[in-house]
Amino acid sequence: MSESFTHRLLPYDGVEGFLEGALPFLRDGVEAGDRVVAVAGPARELLLREELGPATAGVEFAAADTWYSHPSRTLADCLSDADATAWQGRRLRILGEPVWASRPPLEVLEWQRAEAILNVAFAGSDASLLCPFPSSLPAGVVAASRKTHPETVCGSRSLANPSFIDPWAYSAQCDGEPLPPPPASAEALKIDLPDLYWLRAYVGDYARRTPLPDEDLQRLLVAVTEVVTNALRHGEPPITLRMWTRTSGDPSLVCEVTDGGRWPPGTGYGLLPPRPPGAAPSGRFGLWAVRLLCSIVQIRTGDAGTTVRLHLRLPAVPARKAPTIDRA
Amino acid sequence: MRWASKAAGAAYAERVRDNPDGQAMDAPWFAKRPVSAVRPGDHAWLAYSGAEERDRVIGTFVQEGLRTNEKVVYVTDAAPELLPGLGPAHRVDVEAYARTGQLRLISRREACLDRRGGFEPAMMLETLGREVDLAFGQGFRAVRLTTDHSWLLSGPGRPDLGPMLGCEHRVGDAVSPSTMAMAICQIDRHACAPDELLALRDTHEVLVEVNPEFDDGILKIVRTFEPNGLRVEGELDAARHAVFAEKLTQVSADRHRVHLDLSRLGFIDLGGLHLLARHATGLPAGRALVLDHLPADVEHVIEMVGWHRLPGLARGDGALPETEGVS
Repeated sequence: MSESFTHRLLPYDGVEGFLEGALPFLRDGVEAGDRVVAVAGPARELLLREELGPATAGVEFAAADTWYSHPSRTLADCLSDADATAWQGRRLRILGEPVWASRPPLEVLEWQRAEAILNVAFAGSDASLLCPFPSSLPAGVVAASRKTHPETVCGSRSLANPSFIDPWAYSAQCDGEPLPPPPASAEALKIDLPDLYWLRAYVGDYARRTPLPDEDLQRLLVAVTEVVTNALRHGEPPITLRMWTRTSGDPSLVCEVTDGGRWPPGTGYGLLPPRPPGAAPSGRFGLWAVRLLCSIVQIRTGDAGTTVRLHLRLPAVPARKAPTIDRA
Repeated sequence: MRWASKAAGAAYAERVRDNPDGQAMDAPWFAKRPVSAVRPGDHAWLAYSGAEERDRVIGTFVQEGLRTNEKVVYVTDAAPELLPGLGPAHRVDVEAYARTGQLRLISRREACLDRRGGFEPAMMLETLGREVDLAFGQGFRAVRLTTDHSWLLSGPGRPDLGPMLGCEHRVGDAVSPSTMAMAICQIDRHACAPDELLALRDTHEVLVEVNPEFDDGILKIVRTFEPNGLRVEGELDAARHAVFAEKLTQVSADRHRVHLDLSRLGFIDLGGLHLLARHATGLPAGRALVLDHLPADVEHVIEMVGWHRLPGLARGDGALPETEGVS
C-alpha cells in the first residue's frame, strides 16, 4: 500500500531522547521492507549500529558530511533516490541530521530553505523523512525547524506543527532582508552587448587575480554566463556585473548581476530540481544548475530591479598558521 | 627545374629532418589548414576516410584553382568525370580548361612510372617540376598539384615505403620554398597500416581538412568524417546556439552515430548543454550523442550538473590521440 509523504521533526535532549525517536523509525522501516538510510556522523553511526542489533543489516549508513554537501544537490539526489526506490515498489525512509554547527550563517539559511522546499519537491512521493534536532542548537535554528517541518514526533505519536508555514512563503522570508551593498572596491561592468565572449574574458581576468583555483573558473564562467543571458533575455536594462571578494567570514568570490526588470511570481528561483531526471531537461534547468555550480546563490527581485549574487567559496588563505591544539 | 623559388636552396638548409630511415627526427609539427587556406609553399596531406571527405577537400581545391586563374595538375588514371570537383554535378568544362593548359590531367604512366610500370619517384618530381615551370610561362599565378597515393600502397607488388617517403621529402623540399606551387597528397587512410600512415604524414608540414562549416573567430565548427560528427572549437553560448543546432541537425541526418570532438572547446554554456541533451533525446533509440576528448574543466561542469540530467549524452574517448590528420 502506498503511504503519503512525511517530513517530521524529532526534537530531542541527549542520547536517550535521540534513540527513543530514531530507533522505532528505523526498525519500523526495516520491518516494512522500506529502503532505510541513516545519515550520521561516525559516533552516531556506532551508537545506532549497537542499539539496532540485528536490524542493522537492513539499514544503509551514509556519512553526514558528504550527504549534506550542497543544499540543491542533496535535495536532487534525495529526490532521485526516492523515485528509484518507488520504482522498485519500496518506500524510501531517511533519518537525517543536518550539520548545523560548523556552517556560516548564509549556508545555514540555504539549508533551512532546502528543508522547506523539500516539502514541495517530495509532495506526491511516499518517502518518509525524520530530522532529529538537538535542543542544544541555537534557538533560531530550532525555531526555523518548526516552520519547515509539517509534523513533530512526540513519543509514539506525531503532531501537526502549528508553526509550519507554506514553503514558498518561508523561502520568501529567507530573502526578506535586503542584500548588503557591494563594497566600494567592487569592480563594475555595464553589459550592453549580447555577445558574452568579452564578458567571460573580463570575469576570467578578475578571477585569476583571486585565490580561486583554476579548476573552478569554468563553473564560475558558466554560472555568470547563464545569469547574464537570462537578464539579457528576460530582464530590463541596465544590466550590470559587479565582482568582489569577501574576506571576512567565509572567504568567497562574489559575482553580482543586476538588471532593471522584475521576475514574475512563481518562477521557482531554480530551487526545485528539474523533473523527471530521465527526460529531456526542461526550462527549469538553467538557474537550478547555476545553484549546483555555485556555493551560494542569492536572489532579490522587486520594483527596484533584480539582483542575482553568486558566491564561490575561496580556499582559506594559507598565510596564517593554524593554531595547534594540545590533545594530551 | 625552377619551382619559382622564393630563395633558391635556402629552405634546404633550414630543414634538419632526414635520417637514413626517412623518418622525421624532430617531433613532427603541423600547420592545420582548411582547404581554402592552402597557399603556395604548402606541401599538404589529406588522409581521407571516404569519398565524401575526399571530394569536399580536393573538389574545393580543384575548383578554387580553376576559378582563380591558377593551374591545376592532377596525376591520376581516373576519368575526369570521376574526379573530385570535376564530376557532372559541377558543370566544369573539362575540355576547355585542358585546352588552355589550366587543367592538366596526367596519367600515372606519363607522370611517374618506369617502362615496367614501377613507381619512379625521380620521374614524378620531374613531371611536377616541368608543369610548374610551364605554368610560369603560361601566365598562371599559382599551381595546384594533387595526386592520390593510395594505389601505391595497396595493390599487388606494392613497393617498400622507403622510395615513397623519399619522394615525399623531395616534393616537400621543392614545394616549400616555392611562391607558386602548392600540393595536396591524398591517401585513403585505410590503404595502409597506421604506422606507415604516420610515417607518410610526417613528411608533410601542412594537414589539410574541409573548410569549416562555421567560423567567426569565437566559435568554429568543422565537419569530421571518421568518426562522423563535428569538431567544436572555441566558445559556444547563446549568441551561437542557432548555428550550432543547425549544423548538428545536418550531421545527424543519416544513420550514423554522431561524435563531437570537443578537444578544443573552451566554453559551453548551460543552454548549449541543454541543446545537446535535447538533440540527443530526439535521436532514434540507442543512438547516443558521443562527446569525445572533453576538456577537464568542461567535464567537471557536466559532472557537477550530473550526466544523468543530460540524458542521451555519452562520454566518448578521453585522451586526445596523437594521430592528428590520420584518425
